[in-house]
Amino acid sequence: MRRAAAPLLAVTVALVLADSAVVTLALPDILRHLDTTVGEVAWVLISFNLVLGLCAVPVAVMFTRLRPRSFTAAGIAVFAASSAWCAVAPSIEVLIAARCVQALGGALALVGCLELLVAEYGERRGVAAWVTAGVIGTAAGPAAGGLLTGAFSWQAIFVVQVPFAVLAVPAALALHAVAAVAPDRHRPALRPNLTLALLSAALTAALFLLVLLLVEGWGHSPVTAALVVSVVPLAALAARPLARIFGPTPEVEVAVGCFLIAGGLAALALLPSSELAWTVAPQALVGLGLGLTVDRLTSQAMEMRFPRVEHAGWTIGARHVGVVVGLAILTPVFTADLQDAQVPAQEAIASLVLDAPLLPDNKIALAEALGRELTQQRGRIPDLHRAFVSADLDAGERLAAAELERDLDEQLERAATRAFRDSFLIGAALAVAALLTVIAPRRRTS
Amino acid sequence: MTGGWRMVGLPVLALVLVCGVLGVQVAHGGGEFEPLRPADPCVARTVTSQAGGLDGLTERLVLIGIDEAACTLGVSREALTLELAQPGPRTDEEIEALRGGLLSAVGRMQEDGSLPPASALVDEALDNADLDDFLKSVIRALPASVIDAAVKTDDVLVRAIDELDLRTLLANLDDQDDLDEQVNAAVTQAVKDSLLARLRDLF
Repeated sequence: MRRAAAPLLAVTVALVLADSAVVTLALPDILRHLDTTVGEVAWVLISFNLVLGLCAVPVAVMFTRLRPRSFTAAGIAVFAASSAWCAVAPSIEVLIAARCVQALGGALALVGCLELLVAEYGERRGVAAWVTAGVIGTAAGPAAGGLLTGAFSWQAIFVVQVPFAVLAVPAALALHAVAAVAPDRHRPALRPNLTLALLSAALTAALFLLVLLLVEGWGHSPVTAALVVSVVPLAALAARPLARIFGPTPEVEVAVGCFLIAGGLAALALLPSSELAWTVAPQALVGLGLGLTVDRLTSQAMEMRFPRVEHAGWTIGARHVGVVVGLAILTPVFTADLQDAQVPAQEAIASLVLDAPLLPDNKIALAEALGRELTQQRGRIPDLHRAFVSADLDAGERLAAAELERDLDEQLERAATRAFRDSFLIGAALAVAALLTVIAPRRRTS
Repeated sequence: MTGGWRMVGLPVLALVLVCGVLGVQVAHGGGEFEPLRPADPCVARTVTSQAGGLDGLTERLVLIGIDEAACTLGVSREALTLELAQPGPRTDEEIEALRGGLLSAVGRMQEDGSLPPASALVDEALDNADLDDFLKSVIRALPASVIDAAVKTDDVLVRAIDELDLRTLLANLDDQDDLDEQVNAAVTQAVKDSLLARLRDLF
């Protein structure tokens, strides 16, 4: 058990941080299954990140005074139980409550795992293992969540976490760590934590908005979307070898990472079409930026600062409050833009239907069916296929109707892509703000 | 690797990558992937119909008429169509613009020669008309030249449009039977009025 203990704790760290964004691709399914709204379903993400962000520092402070392994084990157990609760949640309110408890257990688990990994591997290797597991979890979360949702259901995301977390409970108890007595007490590293918060807000735009665009806007399945967004973690893996070729200073590396994320988000705002291939290069830029920044900034914020867990708590807090700020800024913007996109989309649909090469009676029947779909959309992108299925068309007109359906779907894709543009640009602006915190001159100290 | 290259190597690569991606996207229409913009309704567009006879004529007339009405109201054809598809009362301005648009459409179609002669529509019109069967047989027996001389399509259409209660018609758009009934009644009355006017002109 002892040999597997540390890897199991690293997996737990990855799971908790993956949970920050793991449900992103499942949101459309949750929205349908729990019959809720876009605004409410966003709280499945917001609640977890908010609780984790706010609890990380107090939990870390508490840890400096308590027995790490008991509280780590308790935190992981709460995380496991609440993950199971999320899977069986019958309503959006229960799911959000379960996510809050899950985040509280996750906060205990995260800071506890850091202490136990350091106790097992030593300071440098232990912190590196903790940071790396977190970056992998953050980057791979959305893709893993999408694949599980596509293969099984949104509940599967939470179910698969339970056995890992259950196994991690005895693993935490198997390791010996004493409450760390800090040789000194340092103030939190403001600059790297602020950069982390701003970048996390920007990365929220990249991951949360892109998957919504792919699934809701362009009508792809969660599995397809998961495969598409896996470009981000793959590119993040390539970042470290790339940095080694040039060997830049850590500041240059972080600044370049921020610039790449800003560039990638600006590119996502300027997509030339809804072909998936166009999202690859922008995502690669974001992934490279993520790989160059998050682990480096986390290490900078914790390096030679004590108590270690407290500074780890500040990095967790900064990242997750950043995610919440990102969601708080972006959710109202893109929901309002999606609402505003309805009129141009409806006018484009009306234009194509009026000029469609169909017999007048069929045109009227189709227009009525399309009108029903458009009025039932409830702030979401309508499924026009149902209108074509329900319309009673002559066999001779099916070809023209199929062509019209393709054209109308393209108009919806155009409207959705346009609706997400401002949000991606805001994300790019957040990444530029993060860049400014890196390149801003430092205050001279005597 | 030299110190200078350490400082600028990665930033230069990042700059090239970002500019390259943005440049390729903009060159392929990045930023212009937006919904179709409605055309200016005041610019005449070519209007066609897949249907023949009265249905085709009605469709072309309505499409041109909506364009003309939208131009008068200063909105797009699509915005006006969506507005008219919604339930609720119509303003006098909308009704007048629509009537004026339909009348302009008749004039435009007459000018470009796309209005069919009355003889081409008479069979279909008689099928829908509320007339005595004997009278229908007599009219059907008439030579096309006689029908075309007696009834002018543009005159009938103008009278039918004037006759139509557009407010009631727009309020019942969902009821196809009611719609047909109103249009047939207006067209039948227009044909009668047109014939009477022709007779009056003869004497």
